Amino acid sequence: MLDSTASHAEIEAKLLPGDLAIWFFIFMELLVFGIFFIIYAVMRIQNIELFNQYQLTLNRELGMANTLLLITSSYFVARAVHAIRLNEVKRCIQWLYAGLAGGAGFLILKSLEYSDKFSAGISLDTNTFYMFYLSLTMFHFLHVVLGMVILLAVAIKASRGAYSAENHTGVETGASYWHMVDLVWVILFPLVYIIR
Amino acid sequence: MKITYNIHSVWAVMVLLTIASYFIGELGSGGLVATVFLLLAAGLKAVFIIRDFMELRGVSFLWRAIMYGWLLVVCFSIGIAYLFSP
Repeated sequence: MLDSTASHAEIEAKLLPGDLAIWFFIFMELLVFGIFFIIYAVMRIQNIELFNQYQLTLNRELGMANTLLLITSSYFVARAVHAIRLNEVKRCIQWLYAGLAGGAGFLILKSLEYSDKFSAGISLDTNTFYMFYLSLTMFHFLHVVLGMVILLAVAIKASRGAYSAENHTGVETGASYWHMVDLVWVILFPLVYIIR
Repeated sequence: MKITYNIHSVWAVMVLLTIASYFIGELGSGGLVATVFLLLAAGLKAVFIIRDFMELRGVSFLWRAIMYGWLLVVCFSIGIAYLFSP
């Protein structure tokens, strides 16, 4: 009786993709970024002129390009998950590397952006706006790096034949973390670069 | 997978929303309409990521409540801070 109730519940609610532990990790990450975003918005109330003035010095073209790169990279990784479910291991690996290339493109553009700002003498101490801009985006940058390390580990494991249509929890776990990195950026981009 | 609503069309819509958000930024205007549009565009992209890329459509209510709840609280707080600032 109990067994049939449990199986009925499982049919009704789909299981989370990947390892459950990654979802607790994702939730903690989202909480931290969420608090960061709200603090940014509240601090801006006290420094509206300053935030509006220095926001205009940010490179919105690079911001948009980076958003497109992360969205596309996330799309590629979603395709990797779809491929492994069809037991298309080679295709899954190709999509994972395509996703990694998107992440690498993001890091390159972000580094160009930072180098431009640092060569202009801008640092965390310059003013409150730059303090938030640098700390928020650098914190996210580190998450992109971590996400790429996870995706690379998944891609290497996949190329060693560790995943199949029946067993691909690792691919889903890595993909879920990577989508979180994308999710945070789609809020960060308009918040820091555009909304005024 | 539906023919019109799938990860491919979701990706294309997110690209368009991103480009539209950039051009709103180029206009350099703040105010109610721009802020609401930008937050809705960001929120919609986030829903697509949660629902279609993370594949949380159909998972337990608790996890959907956590993810969409996070999104709602963040976007709503930002909206209030921007629209009701002096």
